[in-house]
Amino acid sequence: MPQHASPKRRMELEAPDRFRPVVDHELCKKCKKCVSECSYRALEFVDGAVKPIGGCVACGRCLSVCPAQCIEIRQIQSMFPPHANFNERVRRGIMSQATTGGVLLTSCGTDIPYPVMFDELLLDAAQVTNPAIDPLREVVETATFVGGRKGRLEVKENGHLHIEKEPGPMVAMDMPIMIGHISLGSVSYNAQKALFAAAKELNILAGSGEGGLHKDFNVFSQNLVSEVASGRFGVTGDYLKRTAAVEIKIGQGAKPGHGGHLPGEKVSALISQTRMIPLGTDALSPYPHHDIYSIEDLQQLISVVKEATEYKVPIGVKIAAVHNVGAIASGIVRAGADFITIDGFRGGTGSTPRIIRDHVGLPIEVAISVVDQRLTKEGLRNRVTVFAGGSIRSSADMIKAIALGADAVMVCTAAMVAMGCRVCQQCHRGVCSWGIATQREELVSRLDPEVAAARVVRLFRSWNEELKEILGAMGIDSVESLVGNRDRLRYFGPNSKIAEIMGVKHVGEGWG
Amino acid sequence: MTAYDVWGERKKVGPFDPTTAIERKEGCVIIHADRRDEDGRLIHYKVLNDLVRQIMLEGQRHIVLDGVMGHRYIASTANRKDLYIEIHGTPGNNLGAFLDGPTIEVFGNAQDMTGNTMNSGKIIIHGNAWDVTGLAARGGTLLIKGNTGYRVGIHMKEYAGTKPTMVIGGTSKDYLGEYMAGGTIVVLNLNGKVDGSPVGMHLGAGIHGGKIFIRGRVEPHQLGPGAVINQVGEEDAAELDPLVAQFEHAFKTWVPRDWGMWVKISPASSRPFSGHYDPTSI
Amino acid sequence: MGGCGIAGCINMAGGRISGDTIGKMLETMGERENGLGAGYACYGLFPEHRDDYCLQFFFDHEGAKSEVEELLKSLGSIAKDEKVYSHKVKSMRPPFPIIWRYFFNPSQKLEWRGRSDLSNDDLVVQLAMHINADVPGALCVSSGKDMAVFKGNGYSYEISKLFDLGRYSGKMWLSHSRFPTNSPAWWGGAHPISILDWSVCHNGEVTSYGVNRKFVEMAGYRCSVLTDTEVVAYTWDLLVRKHELPIQAAAFAMAPWYHQDIKRLDPESARLATWLRLTYKEALLNGPFSIIVGRREPEVTLIALADRKKLRPLLCGRSVDGKTAYVASEECAVRVVEPSAETWTPNAGSPMMAQAGKGILRVGTEHPFEGVG
Repeated sequence: MPQHASPKRRMELEAPDRFRPVVDHELCKKCKKCVSECSYRALEFVDGAVKPIGGCVACGRCLSVCPAQCIEIRQIQSMFPPHANFNERVRRGIMSQATTGGVLLTSCGTDIPYPVMFDELLLDAAQVTNPAIDPLREVVETATFVGGRKGRLEVKENGHLHIEKEPGPMVAMDMPIMIGHISLGSVSYNAQKALFAAAKELNILAGSGEGGLHKDFNVFSQNLVSEVASGRFGVTGDYLKRTAAVEIKIGQGAKPGHGGHLPGEKVSALISQTRMIPLGTDALSPYPHHDIYSIEDLQQLISVVKEATEYKVPIGVKIAAVHNVGAIASGIVRAGADFITIDGFRGGTGSTPRIIRDHVGLPIEVAISVVDQRLTKEGLRNRVTVFAGGSIRSSADMIKAIALGADAVMVCTAAMVAMGCRVCQQCHRGVCSWGIATQREELVSRLDPEVAAARVVRLFRSWNEELKEILGAMGIDSVESLVGNRDRLRYFGPNSKIAEIMGVKHVGEGWG
Repeated sequence: MTAYDVWGERKKVGPFDPTTAIERKEGCVIIHADRRDEDGRLIHYKVLNDLVRQIMLEGQRHIVLDGVMGHRYIASTANRKDLYIEIHGTPGNNLGAFLDGPTIEVFGNAQDMTGNTMNSGKIIIHGNAWDVTGLAARGGTLLIKGNTGYRVGIHMKEYAGTKPTMVIGGTSKDYLGEYMAGGTIVVLNLNGKVDGSPVGMHLGAGIHGGKIFIRGRVEPHQLGPGAVINQVGEEDAAELDPLVAQFEHAFKTWVPRDWGMWVKISPASSRPFSGHYDPTSI
Repeated sequence: MGGCGIAGCINMAGGRISGDTIGKMLETMGERENGLGAGYACYGLFPEHRDDYCLQFFFDHEGAKSEVEELLKSLGSIAKDEKVYSHKVKSMRPPFPIIWRYFFNPSQKLEWRGRSDLSNDDLVVQLAMHINADVPGALCVSSGKDMAVFKGNGYSYEISKLFDLGRYSGKMWLSHSRFPTNSPAWWGGAHPISILDWSVCHNGEVTSYGVNRKFVEMAGYRCSVLTDTEVVAYTWDLLVRKHELPIQAAAFAMAPWYHQDIKRLDPESARLATWLRLTYKEALLNGPFSIIVGRREPEVTLIALADRKKLRPLLCGRSVDGKTAYVASEECAVRVVEPSAETWTPNAGSPMMAQAGKGILRVGTEHPFEGVG
């Protein structure tokens, strides 16, 4: 199967296109912008008119650049006879594998309609017995701190109260949101620059991804979390010491148990330099860290990184949410981590086998509840900061994730949608028409980092205002009083066992 | 005379006759609020307020309440402009709620919510008033000799020519004039503290009408959203002078007209939060 | 702003205050209660048993009483035990619990559930929690030295009559009349909620209850009294007795300054403020509250604290001769017993502290970290 869209007619055993851009020729100004902007080469100007020639993936670029607004992306109703069990998705998968013999590759987060527990949870509000607070006129705090804590503070009195030394490194964020790790390589230079600039403007953290840190981005390093992933790309002493925090990536929600694979075609000069690998080679991240085969090994890695950073920054660990996530999280805290990130199975990625993306892991709603309950039971919860990620789509998801047990959330896909992404699941092909998931210069230049950064800033600022609205409505004036406060949630779904596992009461159940 | 509990059920009042608390004198009627019933309990506020209403209906113009101890809702909705109520003791919460005309003078401290939603009339306190004084007042005047507490003058508003005013002789705490939509609040800081500010934080949070005048220091960080701070000009002085004169007259005191030491807090706009919402149809 | 009345008084000059005084203070604020619970705590009550733990219990039936007595005897010695005086009040509805007190001392070298390193105080805390959670029909109402809590399910004047409070006098009294907002009314749920020599009276609602509860439970406390005030009492014990925080630091952790205001403090105070907030963020009591807290170690102390938005009333008073300090929800409660008192309100989130033998240590308008040592 050719890597890039072919203008020729498809082979008879291949599945037909799912989308077709349809042009209204009466309105069309024949400017041909859509033809040049489509990186999937699905449009052609022939015989004086714009014609679709196959390969459309509904990335939406042509729509957004058409000055006449005369393009409709039509989802071609199923070319297959309807069948609820052997549905279209299943049949397409079989046909493709019979043709290529390969492991189906895809990107973004899973699109299978598993139930979303966020959409089955309702939040509380204050009525009568305690007053709602107006966040526009009164103080509602959303500042969040990342780092380990010791559980108690020694305060001396001598005329005035004081502490003798600060207990440990802490990083302050203005809101409980971190932009998750997206590597330079899976996304473009301009996209990463936009995300980092947004993090700096918002005074939050952004993950640098496992592609190392481009030297142009050193200016953002105080808002960055560097990543020590299994391939150790770009991981030098300088890289570790420079950033505000360091995260050891054990796994990622979208592909638990899988490493990473950036194909040689995407390893341009830029990537080669930043990752410190030869030009044109595949950038392979091994599945495990080959120095971590057990929890004691993780403790060693955490300790060596703490030494390397002279105990000046928080060191954390990211894991994918898997079935035993509670016990694993407990082990990680005991291994010395200052923060833990739990990444749920619905998280996105630039490239992953579909079998892993769609069928492995745990949803973040359950994972975060289980981790919070387990760490509380073991008396460890107030020693670490816990991040939750894996498809946080809106401020509602963020707020519910916090109430379920997260100190803060990690957001990636939503930030990319703000920059232009339409979640068309083609990132792995490297021809993203929005200039985000590509290394091709002519595509990357389409993304203006300043414009994109401003959009991400506006998105998260409005989420933060929405967080304040909800906190105020609940009669809470500091976000830390919502963290793990599952009493303020009620489950409104069909499965009472899930509610029990999450530690959430049912709608209608009162206090006590 | 019967007393009722909060569900409207008859409370046992016994052989005690509340009308024995009434003492009639030349030109005024005194009600002794510190009478105790046969259980040794102070007469209930419902009983006291019933007596006050009874005497108001008689057409009395001067009522004295003596030995008041925490009795609530005194003179609520009272609406005779020529009525003067004199209170000795400590009136309870919501003194003069919905007041519409009379003058109430308290010789002692008041509690919370004095002048709640008052429409017109005058309340004079020879002492302190505490939290939520003057909430949602629409008109009338509140004169407080001493200090006030938190959330004073919230959502005072003007309409069709009536304007509420409040003059505080001492200090006030956080959230003074929150949600202010009209009227005038004055804080005189007469009780001494030279350094430091006579008001707290979140001053005028959400103010979109009206003015707050403060005789003393106010730092920018004390302002709430939507409030701006300026010097007091000639027009302001012309408005302040008669108000301050009312205060002086009520408490037989003198207030310096040192306008250079005063600041004015007013709205930055009448729509302080436009731009906050996204009305796009999605 | 109604709901629940609180009142307290302390004689700082070595004198004693009668139970009639506190009864009068609370009764004057009768509008703040709805008959679903009231209580009083008295400190300096048992000079002859000053060093024994006075464990006061409600028992639903004799079986529960025997079970607790067996337990106490296995863990230490009972110097004296007696029925707590009570007097039938016609307006109160049965059932009435058996109300009993024991002057108790734990044995030396005691083992509790495999742990032999517990101090006497820790043991008594564990014992009280165990009885409250695991012994059906028994509730430990107070467990401090030289103090006791008298409470029940009724109006404040009914409880005062029930226990004939006038027969007691003490250095300090705390009291509470209830208008419950989210928990059922029962004898155990009335305030003051007490553990060791701590007692707490609370007017308000803890919106961060889920977070606070997990925090104290991680430290070994067990919440079983079905009222959110319980976490407040345990938090004071944890922060001040176990973590040895000075009282103003503990109060700050529970009602901290906003970050925007911390920035304006001097650098050393800003550092302490930030680290108190960070370390103890799960102890932040969110929601509206006025609380009065009593303790006996090292000396009888009264603490009053309002939430940082001051959404509930709290008033302090001092007698003209300076010997007695008062706190209450309403001014009338102070005036009715001390007509010429000087009154003031503490600042939001700033504790007022008064101590027997020393006087008023903080009025509640000082710098948050000013020492009182």
